[in-house]
Amino acid sequence: MAVMTAAIPATPLLEARALCFHRQDEPVFGPLDFRLDAGELTLIEGDNGSGKTTLMRILTGLLHAEEGELLWRGEPLHRDRCVGDIVFLGHQLGLKSELTPRENLRVAIGLHGHREHTDIDAVLAQVGLAGYGDEPVRRLSAGQKKRAALARLLLIPATLWLLDEPYANLDRTGIELVNRLLAEHIARGGAALVTSHGAVGFHGGEPQRIRMHA
Amino acid sequence: MNHAPLAPACAALLRRDLTLAWRQRGDIALPVLYALIVSTLFPFALGPDLALLQRIAGGAVLVTVLLAMLLALDAMFRSDIEDGSLEQLMLSPQPLAPMLGMKILAHWLTTALPLIVIAPLLASLLHLPVAVMPVLLLALLLATPLISLLGAVLVALTAGSRRSGMLLALMLLPLCVPVVIFAAGALAAAQQGLPWIAPIAWLGAALALAVVLAPLACAAALRIALDS
Repeated sequence: MAVMTAAIPATPLLEARALCFHRQDEPVFGPLDFRLDAGELTLIEGDNGSGKTTLMRILTGLLHAEEGELLWRGEPLHRDRCVGDIVFLGHQLGLKSELTPRENLRVAIGLHGHREHTDIDAVLAQVGLAGYGDEPVRRLSAGQKKRAALARLLLIPATLWLLDEPYANLDRTGIELVNRLLAEHIARGGAALVTSHGAVGFHGGEPQRIRMHA
Repeated sequence: MNHAPLAPACAALLRRDLTLAWRQRGDIALPVLYALIVSTLFPFALGPDLALLQRIAGGAVLVTVLLAMLLALDAMFRSDIEDGSLEQLMLSPQPLAPMLGMKILAHWLTTALPLIVIAPLLASLLHLPVAVMPVLLLALLLATPLISLLGAVLVALTAGSRRSGMLLALMLLPLCVPVVIFAAGALAAAQQGLPWIAPIAWLGAALALAVVLAPLACAAALRIALDS
């Protein structure tokens, strides 16, 4: 990483310094150092149980890491400063199964706000759910649910996407879709952290990689 | 960044929870049926003694409604925790306490309000004097949101544990007691033709306090529950 310092702006979007996490005195991961700038994509690699999801939850502010520093735009990461600017997509998709994708997305817009120049129909078509907008989520397949959750990323204004295993349950066109959405988000000046335990081929070059060990 | 303002966010959440409740109407009917069954059983168990039934009617309806509310209480945040909606709510740029306040309001509207609507029927099954009926409704209108709010705090506190139902009931019992005492006090006074406004005013004061404090306590408890 030291090689890249010349080109990097003064304050990164997100920076971790010697970040450690312990659960009941058992080390989960760390110490971990990384930085993430706007327009950058980072892949977090690691085996099952290496703490990828835990790291994600710390970055969202849901979990608190006692050791190490976490800086958001140069200041210590705190919920009040970063909230709304970070969006998290985890194993639990946060979709209500009794509601339709359209109703779920409308609630998300109500809570998070609306990204400019997007509307629900266009976004549903973009993720390949055209025609499924009014079907209850519980009747959709696992992959379609994932696509509905991805649609939320596109509709709400957030700079940093934290995607925990976004490729799970998706078919080949779905994986292609995630890569395309990530490339577009990076091109807009957004940033993304993606966890995966599989091989991933991104558009637009090789991403930064963080390797996690149990 | 154009963050969503608070009022539409509250409206969106309230509408979501009411829509969900409407799609699962059977869950709304369960506490209502429970209250109806309990009130029907009282005359059978105690015998058709009009004076006795009249004397216990107010208290019996009150306790039946509060117990029926307990049936639905532990589901207040469960599905939101299970499907990740609560996480998304916490990550949204909205203050958590008013959002949870909306969830508690939706819960009250879908569980307690139907019970209040059938309360006159339950009371007439037990021969409650018609003159006392308005006091009963007033007491229920103040006591049920109080139970919803206190219950929500306890549900949030026990959200992390697997089998929280039993723990919840045990913790809620002592908190129910003052609510029942004041509500029943108002009913007893009204039945004896005495002024009943003082206990009602106490309930109102407690409700005003709970409306402000309970959502804050819920928010703190749920943050702790998810931080593990």
